[in-house]
Amino acid sequence: MSILKLENISYSYDGREKVLDNINYVFEKGRVYAIVGRSGAGKTTLLSLLSGLTSPTDGRILFDEKDVKKVDRYKYRSRYVGVVFQQFNLLPHLNAVENVELSMRASGKKINDKRKQAFELLEKVNLDETLAKRRILKLSGGEQQRVAIARALSFNPDIILADEPTGNLDLSTQDEVMDIFKRLSHEENKCVIIVSHSPEVAAQADEVYELASLRKSKKKGTKNKKQV
Amino acid sequence: MLVIINAFKSISRSKGRNILIGIIVLAIAASSCIALAIRNAADDAEAVGLESVSITGTISVDRQKLIEENGGGGRGDMSQMRELMERYKDLELDELLIYSDSAYVKDFNYSSSTALNATGELKAYGSEDNADNDSDNVFVSPEGGMVARGGGPGGGGGGMRGGRAIMVGRALTIGDFTVTGYSSEEAMTKFMNSTASIKEGEMFDIASDDMTCLISDVLAYTNGLSVGDSIVLANPNYDSDDEDIDENGDDEDIANEDNAEDNAYGENAGEYTFTIVGIYTDTSSGEVNDMPMFSTAQDPANLICVSYPSLSAVIENSIENEITGTDDWGTETTTALTDTLSSSFIFADKGDYDSFTEELTAKGLSEYYVLTSSNLNNYESSVIPLRNLSAFATTMLFIILAIGAVILVVINVFNIRERKYEVGVLTAIGIKKGKVAMQFVTELLCVTLSAIIIGTVVGAVISVPVSNNLLATQIERAEDEALNQAQSFGRPGGGPISFDGGGGGGRVMSFSSFGGGENERISYLETVNASVNLMILAQLILIGIGLTLVSSLAAVIFVMRYEPLKILANRA
Repeated sequence: MSILKLENISYSYDGREKVLDNINYVFEKGRVYAIVGRSGAGKTTLLSLLSGLTSPTDGRILFDEKDVKKVDRYKYRSRYVGVVFQQFNLLPHLNAVENVELSMRASGKKINDKRKQAFELLEKVNLDETLAKRRILKLSGGEQQRVAIARALSFNPDIILADEPTGNLDLSTQDEVMDIFKRLSHEENKCVIIVSHSPEVAAQADEVYELASLRKSKKKGTKNKKQV
Repeated sequence: MLVIINAFKSISRSKGRNILIGIIVLAIAASSCIALAIRNAADDAEAVGLESVSITGTISVDRQKLIEENGGGGRGDMSQMRELMERYKDLELDELLIYSDSAYVKDFNYSSSTALNATGELKAYGSEDNADNDSDNVFVSPEGGMVARGGGPGGGGGGMRGGRAIMVGRALTIGDFTVTGYSSEEAMTKFMNSTASIKEGEMFDIASDDMTCLISDVLAYTNGLSVGDSIVLANPNYDSDDEDIDENGDDEDIANEDNAEDNAYGENAGEYTFTIVGIYTDTSSGEVNDMPMFSTAQDPANLICVSYPSLSAVIENSIENEITGTDDWGTETTTALTDTLSSSFIFADKGDYDSFTEELTAKGLSEYYVLTSSNLNNYESSVIPLRNLSAFATTMLFIILAIGAVILVVINVFNIRERKYEVGVLTAIGIKKGKVAMQFVTELLCVTLSAIIIGTVVGAVISVPVSNNLLATQIERAEDEALNQAQSFGRPGGGPISFDGGGGGGRVMSFSSFGGGENERISYLETVNASVNLMILAQLILIGIGLTLVSSLAAVIFVMRYEPLKILANRA
């Protein structure tokens, strides 16, 4: 059963040229999805639509068969969807563990010993206690990315959306992160959707959706399933 | 909880920004605290002072209104003016007693004064110096007014009776002694305010007509009198002196001369014996020594205090035995003594005073009579510096608040613009805009309240010296104004001396016969207790909350306008 479904989704900024046109994707729990495409193909826009940060111009997004447009999108974002942003979007005046805790509190879910769980999550993405207590701006790009991943996982969401989650990581850490996503998907029955242009990431996904750039070719987005 | 935790984290992690806001709010709070403390203290001091003032009022003829009725300030119809003044004389005791029967009147007391002459060896203090000012220059009109004869102010005897007996005595009474009968001890204002006190003997029985009296220590010393001695005073209207009459061109037709021997009193006609039961000392008696006097009766040393019943007995006796006649000008004369009544209504507070004023109108008192209170007027003059201070503090408060609000709004707008990214992240992870706005308001409120507490302490310390310095400035200004006004009238810069219209065509200086009295110098309140109390603290907290809400409004509007995707996309 699909947890997330895109039905005839189109999107254009301010009514101008369409970035996405008639997209029909289905996402299920327990699988890792990769959305790939060239720069400007609308990958990040699609991620924004999936995370409820914006609404489609046409079509609808169904979460558990409910139109996302009609549900409380703040609640949707804070409880059901964990997002790893391309720019991380961490709060600089907080340290790593506080950023993770903040998401836990924002979810409104009852989470015991948030601090301890936050440290454990950071430990999972290879950030020790010393790094966990550092302010965000004192961490490297890769470390910030790992904090962003830990934050996305912090409130145990059903869906994990990641925008280039391995972009700033070395190959070994990339594999570690992908292992985490796969484990979450396969062992904890999460739906993991990764937006990336990396073939390595796409190779590890259960399914790949490729977005064609409308800006250049004017072609519709095509669905290209890849069974792993 | 999320809001509070985030707010505290943000405060602790953004010290520089919050310290800046804190300093600004602290300055606003300290200034507001000073302004509020000054304003409240000034208002309290005025209210407390007003409560402690025992308000006395007097019903008198509204001469100003009569003049206006007669054609204003120019030369009106004098005969019509006389007619008006004849019609509206000062109220009689019986009428005053009726009005005094009011729930608003705490007490009503009165005194009555008349002039009597010395007899035998008895000498009025200062009588040798004023030998020319003998009693022969006075006669009594049948209407009851004493009119100075020969060169005195012309006109009738209007306004002779009533509340300002002292003024009349000063202006026109010519006699050796002023004998004043009091209805109650409260009427003896000089004794009540400790200007005078009995130093030997005791107080006379206020309710008795036993002809006992108090005399001044000066008079006792001058005549070698002591407690238990008796003095004999004479009706000045019987005391005709042929030589003086001749000098003045009067003839033997003068009534008292012809009829004196036929009087029932015989040789003692018009003589009254008083027993001295006490001798008092009057600390104010020296104050009027420099004033010009028309008779020794005006000298406070020659004031003889008796009970009202005793004085009434004297007056009634003189009326019973009056001898009437006609003088050279065809005016009827009488030997009957006249008295001048001075009455005071006592009120518990200003509210009762105001209510009584309304009640008088409701009871049908003519519009040509007016209730006045010199001590209320004096008090209100004395609090002018306080009122100025209060007004200054209020203006200062509003300016501070206006400037403070503008500064805080500007700082907040910049603050929120700087924190736009934070708003984007918080809303992107699912925190509602309202909660984000609430977090910002909470942060500002915490910083503001902390700064207000510190500012209140600073303000409390500074407010006392600041307020007293400002008050001193206000008093100095008020005194300078009074001095300038006094100098404009050619007087040295002392206390105000009032002028009052007399009973004739001229103007008569109105002095208190016994010094002090109505024309006392205004005593300004020189210090205020500008302490910071719970009320001020509550007001400051309200101001803080108000300022926070006003300045946060900008923040809230900005937060509600921002869309997380736009913020984050712009940053990317």
